[in-house]
Amino acid sequence: MNNDTLRIGGRSLASRFFIGTGLFPNPFVQKEAIKASGAEVLTFAIRRVNLDAVEDDSILQHIEDDAFQYLPNTSGASTAEEAVRIARLARASGLSDWIKVEISADAKTLLPDPIETLRATEMLVKEGFTVLPYISDDPVICRRLEEAGAAAIMPGAAPIGTGLGILNPYNLGLIVEEAGVPVIVDAGLGTASDVTKAMELGVDGVLMNTPVAKAKDPVMMACAMKHAIEAGRLAYLSGRIARKKYASASSGLEEFILK
Amino acid sequence: MRNKHSVELKVNGVKHSLEADTVLDVIAHFGLKGKPIIVEADGVILTPEQWSDKAVASGMIIELVHFVGGG
Repeated sequence: MNNDTLRIGGRSLASRFFIGTGLFPNPFVQKEAIKASGAEVLTFAIRRVNLDAVEDDSILQHIEDDAFQYLPNTSGASTAEEAVRIARLARASGLSDWIKVEISADAKTLLPDPIETLRATEMLVKEGFTVLPYISDDPVICRRLEEAGAAAIMPGAAPIGTGLGILNPYNLGLIVEEAGVPVIVDAGLGTASDVTKAMELGVDGVLMNTPVAKAKDPVMMACAMKHAIEAGRLAYLSGRIARKKYASASSGLEEFILK
Repeated sequence: MRNKHSVELKVNGVKHSLEADTVLDVIAHFGLKGKPIIVEADGVILTPEQWSDKAVASGMIIELVHFVGGG
């Protein structure tokens, strides 16, 4: 497993866990959960500073280790142009040229708008960003995003924050089969078994926020998810047995003593 | 030290009247000096090196943004 690294945008990652930084009960728990997750990629959002409470402050003051790869998102954007504007602001931080394109079509489902996402990906690739679009689990749009130059594609398992797990394993399997860039399942996972299942389908990694941050014990859940990723990855690489309809004994019956 | 000019700016979507000659003055006014923020003035992103050179005038639209928790 030591040389089973994930490469995205010229960077090698030992961990296949991308962790979000929203919704944690407090900065201390967040920091411990990130540590327990082993994640190297951290996602953020870009928002206006609250001028009435500036001491309330940036998330970055709570993140000490600059070995992390920052993956800011374009959440809040509803068009490609808005996403590009947010991406440029994020890059101006000097912290990262990675960008998670996230363009929601509506507030109820937060499902990604595939047309705007493709347009934004095309524009941002031209501007030299390392683009990781969050997108529906549709193999065709995933292929189009790859052709547009996405460094990885990030299909959702289910809508953001729902914890419903993988709604369409068939589609995810097809996406994995066809993709020439890493596939990161982003959004909708609920618990460790969902994660293992995703990894067993052959995806290259998972991005999670809510299922860790909103668990009763976020630090323990981060640890569980880390193990789930490793278990699923190892099972995928090992090659599972074929499913059979009927039993086959583990010891054989030819030398059975009672015959 | 001479007094700074009174300007009326739209900062983060809200009108503010303050004393400021440059973008850096605006940042200082809101207590954001030294904080990891990103600045956009009239739709153009400014690098930190540009903050002290960029003059502000009434009517300017300034956005002060930063990283927050997100997935």
